[in-house]
Amino acid sequence: MSRRPLQEPTFLLLTALAEGPQHGYGIMTDVERISGGRVKLRAGTLYAALDRVAAEGLVEADREEVVDGRLRRYYRLTPLGGDLLAAEVERLRQNAAVAAKRLKLRHRAIGDLP
Amino acid sequence: MTTADGLEGGYRRLLRWYPPSYRCRHEEEILGVLMAAAQPGQRRPSARESLDLLSSALKIRIRMTLRGADSQPWAAALALVAVLLPLLMLLLKLTEFLDRGAQYGFGSPADIVIGAYGEPGAYARSFQLNPHSVALTGNVTDLLTAGPLPALILAALACLGWRRTAAVCAAFVALAYLGISLTSGYTLLAGPRGDVTLYAYGLEALVLLAASDAARGWRALRWRPSALLAAATVAAGVGMNGGFWPLFHAAPTDPASALRRAQNLDRLASLPHGFIDRLFGIGAGGWGGWLLYQGTLVAVIAVALATMLVSSPVSRRALSLLAVPFALGAVIYLCSLISPPLPGPVGNTLTAVPLLLILLAAMALSLGYRPHAGPDNPARPAAPGST
Repeated sequence: MSRRPLQEPTFLLLTALAEGPQHGYGIMTDVERISGGRVKLRAGTLYAALDRVAAEGLVEADREEVVDGRLRRYYRLTPLGGDLLAAEVERLRQNAAVAAKRLKLRHRAIGDLP
Repeated sequence: MTTADGLEGGYRRLLRWYPPSYRCRHEEEILGVLMAAAQPGQRRPSARESLDLLSSALKIRIRMTLRGADSQPWAAALALVAVLLPLLMLLLKLTEFLDRGAQYGFGSPADIVIGAYGEPGAYARSFQLNPHSVALTGNVTDLLTAGPLPALILAALACLGWRRTAAVCAAFVALAYLGISLTSGYTLLAGPRGDVTLYAYGLEALVLLAASDAARGWRALRWRPSALLAAATVAAGVGMNGGFWPLFHAAPTDPASALRRAQNLDRLASLPHGFIDRLFGIGAGGWGGWLLYQGTLVAVIAVALATMLVSSPVSRRALSLLAVPFALGAVIYLCSLISPPLPGPVGNTLTAVPLLLILLAAMALSLGYRPHAGPDNPARPAAPGST
């Protein structure tokens, strides 16, 4: 089955977990950092997104910790989530390569104009 | 109370909007994130945070409800209802047919097909009286809701497990009835029994599309709840149609017992009239007898059913689904009792709206259905692009 492209928040969420397991607040700050402050996930949105990707088998709970009396649950990418992210990266890379190549051709054409 | 306590209390109040099972697993965790992300000195949740939590709670609730269709008890209940509902409708129609036929005669084969119970010869007569559109549309609407044919076809398709065909058929019957009624100027509010049938067919379309297990057909039936519900349907059908009424109204031969019976009936008839007799359409003086004999039978079976069915999560869910058309029909009937009566178009709209909502939900389910990505269904890398 071909899958629709990932939406940006989902892509960023999976990217945040690509390096290793993170807890909710860690994902939230990481997504903001990766996107250069453009995407800010609030707690409700973050957990709704986590619930969705967990239901799709892309992410799973890793471990739990109690820090300062508060529960922290860490999440990690599943092999399926890793494959999906890799496929998405490849898709974006190819699109970007095609766009860059055509832009280069365009510049050359414009440059060739008298 | 400190600032942090006040803020935490505010967040907890908002988190109460999440489903209990979700809260049980995630409340402390989300609270930790919310408190960590809070601004220094923040006293209460901001408007944006509140909106985000409330909309996410709604999203999770909808998702869990839809996902519930994949969970064990709901999947089994939906598959059970998908097969059982048309079978029960068929049983109800056959009970009505036998019950009325035994009292008033069965009529011609055409009367049987259009479900002219208690009005044998209606089909032939209607054509003699008015060979044009009114009689024809009347017979078609009877055929669609009162007759046994749609229930028979639906039951056969559902038992075979042809879920999409059955869903289309159920939606067609409901929409055709609605369309003909509205364009021919019939008042839907006046026929609650037809409306129940209408909602039942609409619900059947929705259930068939929601239940992926419905493809199992008759194998999805669970025999104990099915047998109990079938018995209750027959009892309710016989009771509602006055099947036992002639027994109690047969002329007694013994004068003493005739007197006793007359006294009893008098005593019963003197009880205050009101909601019950209007609800069941019983004439003055008759409702006490109905309540005593047939109502008791139906009530005993209903109580037995309820107590036996609540023991199983699947049966409980199936029972609540099956109650939907009857509950909607009851509401519509109560609306028809409003005095002064609602204008025809208002009544029709009131009756049509629940059905249209059910069918819209069925359509959304049908269009939005996508197989979940999973181990057997991995996402494929995009095809290499070309320049």
